[in-house]
Amino acid sequence: MFNREILIALAIFEALVLGLGFALSGNNYLMLLAAQVLLFAVFVAAWNIIGGLTGQLDLASSAYMALGGITTSLLWMKLNVPPLLGVFAGGAVAMGLAVLIGLPTFRFGVKEVWYALMTASLVVILNNLFRYTMGPWDFYLPSKWGLIYLRPRTYFELFLIIDVVLVIVILVNVYISNSKIGYYLRSIREDELASESIGIDTRSYKLRALAIYSFITGAAGFLQIVIYSSFSYRLFDTSQAISIAIMGIIGGLGSISGSIASAVIFRTLGEYLRSSLGGVFPGLDLLLYGIMLIIVGVLKPEGLAGLFNQIRRWLGK
Amino acid sequence: MTPLDLLVAAGQQVIDGVFLGLFYAIVASGLALIFGVMDIINFAHGDLIMISAYFTWLLSMTLNLDPLFSMLLTLPILFLIGLGIQKGLINPVLGKEPLIQIAVTVGLGFVLQNIALGYFKAEPKGYPAPLFSGGFSLGPFVIYESKLVSAVVSLVVLILLSRFLAKTKLGLAMRAVTDDRASAMLMGINVGRVYLLTFAIGMVLIGVAAGLWMEMGQVTPYLGTSFSLVSWVAVALAGLGSIQGLIISAIIIGVAQSLGSLISPSIQMAVVYLIFFFILWFKPRGLFARR
Repeated sequence: MFNREILIALAIFEALVLGLGFALSGNNYLMLLAAQVLLFAVFVAAWNIIGGLTGQLDLASSAYMALGGITTSLLWMKLNVPPLLGVFAGGAVAMGLAVLIGLPTFRFGVKEVWYALMTASLVVILNNLFRYTMGPWDFYLPSKWGLIYLRPRTYFELFLIIDVVLVIVILVNVYISNSKIGYYLRSIREDELASESIGIDTRSYKLRALAIYSFITGAAGFLQIVIYSSFSYRLFDTSQAISIAIMGIIGGLGSISGSIASAVIFRTLGEYLRSSLGGVFPGLDLLLYGIMLIIVGVLKPEGLAGLFNQIRRWLGK
Repeated sequence: MTPLDLLVAAGQQVIDGVFLGLFYAIVASGLALIFGVMDIINFAHGDLIMISAYFTWLLSMTLNLDPLFSMLLTLPILFLIGLGIQKGLINPVLGKEPLIQIAVTVGLGFVLQNIALGYFKAEPKGYPAPLFSGGFSLGPFVIYESKLVSAVVSLVVLILLSRFLAKTKLGLAMRAVTDDRASAMLMGINVGRVYLLTFAIGMVLIGVAAGLWMEMGQVTPYLGTSFSLVSWVAVALAGLGSIQGLIISAIIIGVAQSLGSLISPSIQMAVVYLIFFFILWFKPRGLFARR
């Protein structure tokens, strides 16, 4: 399941991440950016389960993120449930909604473009409903800090917490990918009809992938709110959801290393562009994502993962 | 509010909804045509409308011309741009998996959106004094001229489109390709040329939608997302292959949205997308599909 090659790769990746964390720990601004980049990688890695492995182009990542995060925050603010426990409730609520919608959706065979559109419109529906119930205001988290609130005093500790979550999500990905369910999911991605004809319960497996993805995204959503230290209906953001799917595609569908690499590289580059040229040219970072996506789609559909393989072959020669 | 007031308010929303729906029909027509004939999934549709709306606005401001007229100037240019997009971006992904098509067109949409944001910034842009800006009352209801005009123009353009598809050689070829690409090819139809012209004509319809929008409202870089979604909802509701079906579906959407805004303006789109969910679940071929 977890062979040596994977563990070594993970160890090297962690050494890099922690090294970077220590190097930046003096600079609050850069530390916060690094935490944001890492959290983005968490969302992309979770998306990889439904989008990359199963091939369902889900565009509702930000909906599950916001729903889970807001649930956790409200439990904390109204009922005094510490977020360390609350995140599981947040994940469960996001998963509950995903399954509730997923059941009829997969039952009636909604797929491809229609699945993408349905999930994209889910973000808008929730955005509208939350604007209706919450109003246009920003709600700030209580001024309490501590591990039990998942809200440490320094950005370096926040970075470490997000890093732990990222490792967990990577391990979940590897586990799924190398077990029976992973093979089923990939066969659904390659040819759903054929998978069904050899006896795979495609509906149930798609639903499982959706449930795992939405639970992780919902649980991690609170960390996004911790970074902003406030929440509003604007968390339900279509372009955030699309960006996450874009990273998964640029990275190469189903490749966990590729999607994390693309999330880290392009989000970092994007943040850099935004901070240096954002005043002159807002949206330059997203423009870059768009151009990359076109290039990958037209020239190299297997994404960064394909590039990695090519380099590996070239080095092996 | 007395029941009578409520009835009048609802009636007003239905009237506005029908006008809005006719406008949505022209918004969705380009997508329906391109998706139907070429089987290409275009997620950039709304963003193409958005960028064309800026184009119309720019012409209107520099020439001091009403959007309804500057729109006419944009159409031939958009036709040429359509040829270019088809050659450069769409042709390479024709017949590829849906995911790749979605990826490329989402990428195109992101590029257009952020070019607009970078160049025009986020403040809404509108033409200050459109030709039709007033309104008149009809019994207890108010009719806004700009909405009426845009509804009438889109209806006329759609009738012309349906004549074109029914009567001309190119239109027949487009319908033949929609129904069965392989047989159409065997009958000697140059499918590549049909695709090229379909996309270009789709761009012209996009230009008309953009011009009508500028007569009624303002454009922001984020306008595209909602136009894309509404167009896809209309296509899902209508099914492929019938312009009348598309018009009726678009009117249903417009009225639903209008009545939704009676509850609260912030949930009007939620109402439309809920309809979308139920259509996909229970009537995935749409209400008026020819096949």
